[in-house]
Amino acid sequence: MSAPKTIPKDAQVMMQILKDMGITEYEPRVINQMLEFTYRYVTTIIEDAKIYSTHAKKSTVDADDIKLAIQCRMDQSFTSPPPRDFLLEVARQKNQTPLPLIKPYTGPRLPPDRYCLTAPNYRLKTVHKKVLPSAGRISVPRLSVGAVSSRPSTPTQGSSVPSVSKVSAPVSLSAQRFTVQIPSAQSHAPKTTSATPPVLMSSSLIGQKTLLMTGGGGALSQSDSLKRKHDDSEDYDAM
Amino acid sequence: MAAVQGGLVDSEEEKDIKADPSSDVCGNSNNANDAKPVSNSPGTNAPPGPVKTSVETAEEQQTLLAVLQFLRKNNLSESVEILRREAGLPEDLLDHKGSDGPGSGASTVGGGLDGGDTTTLLSRVTAAASGVQAPTKATSDDQPDVSVVLSAYSQQGDPNLYAVYYSDLKKFIETVLDCHRAELSQVFYPLFVHMYLELVYNNHENEAKSFFQRFSGDQECYYENDLRVLSSLTKREHMRGNETLLDFRTSKFVLRISRDSYQLLKRHLQERQNNQIWNIIQEHLYIDIFDGMPRSKSQIDAMSGSLAGEAKRDANKSKVYYGLLKEPEIELPLDDEDEEAENEEGKPKKKKPKKDSLGSKSKKQDPNAPTQTRIPLPELKDSDKLDKIMYMKESTKRIRLGPETLPSICFYSFLNAYQGLTAVDFTDDSSLIAGGFADSTVRVWSVTPKKLRKVKSAADLNLIDKESDDVLERIMDEKTASESKILYGHSGPVYGISFSPDRNYLLSSSEDGTIRLWSLLTFTCLVGYKGHNYPVWDTQFSPHGYYFISGGHDRVARLWATDHYQPLRIFAGHLADVTCTRFHPNSNYVATGSSDRTIRLWDVVNGNCVRIFTGHKGPIHALAFSPNGKFLASGATDGRVLLWDIGHGIMVGELKGHTETIYSLRFSRDGEILASGSMDNTVRLWDSMKAFDDLETDDFTATTGHIHLQDNSQELLLGTYTTKSTPVIHLHFTRRNLLLAAGAYNP
Repeated sequence: MSAPKTIPKDAQVMMQILKDMGITEYEPRVINQMLEFTYRYVTTIIEDAKIYSTHAKKSTVDADDIKLAIQCRMDQSFTSPPPRDFLLEVARQKNQTPLPLIKPYTGPRLPPDRYCLTAPNYRLKTVHKKVLPSAGRISVPRLSVGAVSSRPSTPTQGSSVPSVSKVSAPVSLSAQRFTVQIPSAQSHAPKTTSATPPVLMSSSLIGQKTLLMTGGGGALSQSDSLKRKHDDSEDYDAM
Repeated sequence: MAAVQGGLVDSEEEKDIKADPSSDVCGNSNNANDAKPVSNSPGTNAPPGPVKTSVETAEEQQTLLAVLQFLRKNNLSESVEILRREAGLPEDLLDHKGSDGPGSGASTVGGGLDGGDTTTLLSRVTAAASGVQAPTKATSDDQPDVSVVLSAYSQQGDPNLYAVYYSDLKKFIETVLDCHRAELSQVFYPLFVHMYLELVYNNHENEAKSFFQRFSGDQECYYENDLRVLSSLTKREHMRGNETLLDFRTSKFVLRISRDSYQLLKRHLQERQNNQIWNIIQEHLYIDIFDGMPRSKSQIDAMSGSLAGEAKRDANKSKVYYGLLKEPEIELPLDDEDEEAENEEGKPKKKKPKKDSLGSKSKKQDPNAPTQTRIPLPELKDSDKLDKIMYMKESTKRIRLGPETLPSICFYSFLNAYQGLTAVDFTDDSSLIAGGFADSTVRVWSVTPKKLRKVKSAADLNLIDKESDDVLERIMDEKTASESKILYGHSGPVYGISFSPDRNYLLSSSEDGTIRLWSLLTFTCLVGYKGHNYPVWDTQFSPHGYYFISGGHDRVARLWATDHYQPLRIFAGHLADVTCTRFHPNSNYVATGSSDRTIRLWDVVNGNCVRIFTGHKGPIHALAFSPNGKFLASGATDGRVLLWDIGHGIMVGELKGHTETIYSLRFSRDGEILASGSMDNTVRLWDSMKAFDDLETDDFTATTGHIHLQDNSQELLLGTYTTKSTPVIHLHFTRRNLLLAAGAYNP
């Protein structure tokens, strides 16, 4: 085992600092981590100080710039928790309100939806399908969002479901997804596409199914789009 | 009076904050916090501070004095004269107030405070005036509270004399009677720290260093860590960011001294001209005087060690409802099993007689138990009732433990965790384990052969037959069943984990400052509760569900409910991080252990601190309530387990044996055995029945808080079980009293 002949001076200084602070047991990697941190911190401060000194139109960086840089960085990264009397005051105010009564059980007790993480946080781009019988139809970009949802279902509309991946019209996509996909809820589906039927499942799951549909059933949707809306059970089986 | 950080607002804030102390008759408060009791104990010499008639005149006077002092410092003597004449200030008042040095006892207190006022007001004045060099560095402070706090040190004696004063006091205390010496020696540590910090604040670095070197060795050994932190603090700037130290300054260090000893000390200090020490004692120490025998060294040692001294007598006097809530009577369902059929009568509370029966035979309210409606609790759902029935059935099969029948221990070792396992929890029925890791994941395992299943996707749910009997089985997805599931979401190591009692939810708290609620039905994250902006060290669900608590680096513990995105209660009072939070079995109280070496018990209804327990010499990492709710056990880095009587508010036992930090404590289901797990790779079992039986709580003990601890740790130790280099970080008794332990194998 070849021990290094000399430990670099910086590392020696760091070891000395650790010793002065009373830390006697530490893993050897700690020195490296401390050195990295030191380097990063010092260079950040010095860079900030350079910016401040050029802003003040000084030719050199002097102590005031460094002090300002340190102070700004402290306020940003190395914040400390609020002081005690502030906490006591806040606590006093908060603790004055009585505990709220609990409503009888109406499902999982969660905060209002906007504070939960249960909403979908993504939109899917549909994949461009390669082989499609009625390819001519694809090129008709039924993009207009509002139009899709309000217009009664027409055959052409259904056809453009999987084809054009215009992500800029997400609503249209999802609306179209609904028409293709959710047969069970669409007792009245043939009439309207805007049947955003009261989907009882979480939206995230819908997304998944969409992917499935467009991935695997793309071909189906093209030719059967006409029939699809009228015949729910077929679609049902397809899934 | 919230501490608003910002440039322009500061000056006004400072003014407001300074106005309050000046109107305080006592004149001793250094922070303008209304909520804290500020008055000295009746025993101390009530300092006749300057009595101000109205706030306005006091404030104006302060301002004037500040300006005068400023002018004086800059040698603008003519302006001084003119201003004084016009303002009509009497000569002697100015000299009197303007002095920084120690004068006579009474006035220095006022002088010190005014000195503090003038310093901060000076800074305000200089900030307003452009281009004037401020004599103090207070302008650079952007936190008004900080300068308020630090300005407490503007009064200064001659720095060279500090060492003289201190050694003088030392000599005096060494010459008093033995019985008084132990008590008066308590004064050394806080005095030393405060004097050192004064020197540092007033920029006498060299004197501070030599003072430290000379006297730090005399302090008690258990203050070693604090002293080491202090030794690195040599300039005033160092003091600024250290919240714990600032809190130490503003809060009064509580000492409990008998009247006789106190009289001795007071007489001595007032005879001499050592008023510097007297000033510090009055400003920073709260001397809780009691009548009675002075305490012995061992008694004092047992109770001291915390960052705020001990607890005042009246801090532990309020009534605590430590009894258990009455269990609801549950109508057993019609599909009873065989055991039920044995009992002829169909009464709901039938089971084999046990000591603390669930369906209580006593109809009347336990006087020590809270009422059912003291805090709102969720009502029982049908599934909860089924759980309770299961619980009752299991508890009939429970083994009674005792010194002769020790529990078997089943140890779950986490392999390949690479020191990343930071938190573990078991469900109450011991069917699931969750582990929180430093790589910010949470993993859930099934302990039983039954795999983990999540609910089917929405589309699949439509396909199932909703009318079938086993619909609850059918909604589970068999295809993705697995032994373990991983939950991703946190962005920092997960330090606290807790299952909900109904096994539907899992809570995890992390270094990223959030607490996440995960659903164990879908294995996804439902809510992120943001409130702590700093690492959250521990979290726990209430035993009744719905509420949970969390404690973190910001020195507060918070009470949340799952359907509120903001905390319901904030428990503020600790001087350092809150490292451990536990609910009382009746969910009405919360215990928090902290790095300031104290344990506090909080009332959920109004957020008040009802008990303060001091005695540990290191940060507390483990807390456990006994199943009957009367006692609390705590473990800390000093390797001792301390037992506390909640009702009386005193320490009743000390269990020595572990050599390293104790990370987990758990009472057995009936409270007969206490198990403790520690970093020294052992699990130790203690006879808690015996430890609590031997109590002799006579009135004297209760009122004065004297404790007579027996040194019977050896007798109480029932067994030590060593693991193969695996620190024990979690303990859990199953419903049948089998002990489960968990830790990460650390070769």
